[in-house]
Formats: sequence, C-alpha cells, structure tokens
Amino acid sequence: MTSVRFVFPKVRLAELIKTPGGLTVAEALERAQDNLDTLKPTCVAELTALLEFAEAALDRLDPAFDDAGLADLYAIAVRGIGAGAVCGLPAADEALGSLCDLVDHLRTGGAYDRAAVGVHVQSWRLLMNPDLPSEAARLMLDGLRKVSARYAA
Amino acid sequence: MSLDAASRARFNLERAAVMLLDDTPLGMSILVQIVTGLGAKTLYRCATVEQAEQVASNYELDLAIVDGMAPSGRGYDFVRWLRTEAKEPNCYTPVLITTAHTPASDVARARDCGGHIIIKKPIAPKVMLERILWVAKEGRPFLFSGGYVGPDRRFRNDGPPGGVGRRREDLAAAAAAEAAAQTSPETPPEIRQAS
Repeated sequence: MTSVRFVFPKVRLAELIKTPGGLTVAEALERAQDNLDTLKPTCVAELTALLEFAEAALDRLDPAFDDAGLADLYAIAVRGIGAGAVCGLPAADEALGSLCDLVDHLRTGGAYDRAAVGVHVQSWRLLMNPDLPSEAARLMLDGLRKVSARYAA
Repeated sequence: MSLDAASRARFNLERAAVMLLDDTPLGMSILVQIVTGLGAKTLYRCATVEQAEQVASNYELDLAIVDGMAPSGRGYDFVRWLRTEAKEPNCYTPVLITTAHTPASDVARARDCGGHIIIKKPIAPKVMLERILWVAKEGRPFLFSGGYVGPDRRFRNDGPPGGVGRRREDLAAAAAAEAAAQTSPETPPEIRQAS
C-alpha cells in the first residue's frame, strides 16, 4: 500500500506580492508588453533564420521514412514557437505548432508523409509575410491543422 | 482565473527571487522581458539544468519558471530534482512550467514532474501574471506519494462559473437537438406542421 503524506508549506511569494509598493496590474502589463516590443526585430530575425534551417532540413529529408530528419525538423520548429506572437506574426506560431504536432504524430505512429511536412514549411514561409491578409492566413492554418490531424492517433 | 487587464489592483514582485530556466536565448529573452515588466528585480537566468541545480542549491527561490526544453524534456527532470533533491524551502518553490510543444511521449513526464501549472507558448504577459498570482495563493498542500512529489493537483470544486451552463445541461441540450434532427432529417418544419 502506498503511503501518502501532505505538507502545508509556507509560500513566501504569497507574502511578498502583498507587500506595499509594486505595480498595478494595468501598469505591469503595459510595461511587460513594452518590453516585449523591443524584441520584435530579434524575433523576426530568429524566425527567419529558423525557417532557413527548416527549409534546408526539408531538402535533406529522405523520401523514405526518415526519423532522424523528422527529429531535426522538430527541434528547429519547436525553438521558434512563441516568437511569432512577439513580432506580430502569430500565425507563424500556429503553423509551427501544427508542424510539431505533425512530426510528433508521424514519429509516434511510424507513418511518413514528406509532402505534409513540406506544405507546413512552405506555409511557414508565406505566413512570415506581415502583409498577408488575415483571412488567407486563417484558411492556410485551417488546412495545416487538417493535414496534421490526419495523422493523430 | 481571468484577470482584468485594466485593474488598479497592486501586487509586488520586487523582492521575489525568480529563477528562469530556458535553453534558447530567445525564449530566455522573452521570459526576462515579461518578468521584469511585471516588476521582478532578482532574476537567476539559467540556460542548462546544471546551472539551475546550482542556483537552487545556493539561493532561496520564491518562484521558478522552467521551460520543458523540448525535445529533450530536461526541464521536467529539473523540476523533479527540485522536488525530490533540493533542500527546504526550495523544494516547495512554486514552479510554472512553460512549453512550446509537448511530444506525446512526454505528456506523462510533464504532468508528473511536480510543477504547479503548465503554460503553453506563446506566453502573453497577462497569462503569466495570472499564473504567478495563482501559484502564490497560500494553502496549497504538497503531496508525497509513491511516484509523485509536488503540489496537490486536485482543485477545489467551486461549481460552474456564473453564466456558463453545467456539462450535464450541455449534454442534455445536445441530445435534445440531435433527437429533434433525427425526427425529420430532411423534412422542412412547415411541411410537418401541414401534414
């Protein structure tokens, strides 16, 4: 039989956040957003560099099941998630999430669809265009989600 | 858990010691900008699990924000280490886990490592603040059982939030709608009334 023990630790953070001073919620959120805005150029540069790595990894991807190649692509895509929201390209984050889902499904299920991976990387390139109409981005993301969902267990 | 972004309520993170663990420079920069914007001043930035273990062994931490570090998932290993190996009070430190994506093979590891809550990237400042305030709530017990050490993950049931129907009612409504649809799948209502 497993024994279970409960401890009620004192959380110092609970006391600290109540100490006088600090910020209002509105001020804090505005400051945090202003801080994030300073990262916009860095995020665009990082996403662009990752996209180039991903395109090169896609070119190297074997026509037959290529687990190592898929793992490379996953490692590239997962690093970019979160940058899109900061630099005003939130659709890029969603495309990367869908690519990670797809690669994970393929590796887990032992299935392989190089074209499905390719369409994700190509869409990533298109979604990096800040002038892309939002409706076009939405349709593209819907399509990507359907492609990755096809391989979900 | 939703926070009013225009709220004038005050909180203070100035004296909180916050450890950040993220192996990507950009991920770390985003975390730093958010957390400093929210008012934290003492940050320990760690790019590796080894650095994080060293910090947790030498400094008292009030909050840890730990990336899962996909695809290796080593961030989860750090949280487990913190819960099982670190000395008091750090073994009880509130831990927010961030993740860009969790592979299917890592879901159980993420769930069971002992973090308080998982935040999916991209992270908005509002979401981060909501989660920080949530983990700071007092009275959350820690559980030591066979395979799990960490905060009790059972939430108090306060009933459905105001304005939202209960699951049972949703199901009943859905079943009624489905039954109505099956009664006359292709017959328009006006023709049924006439016959």
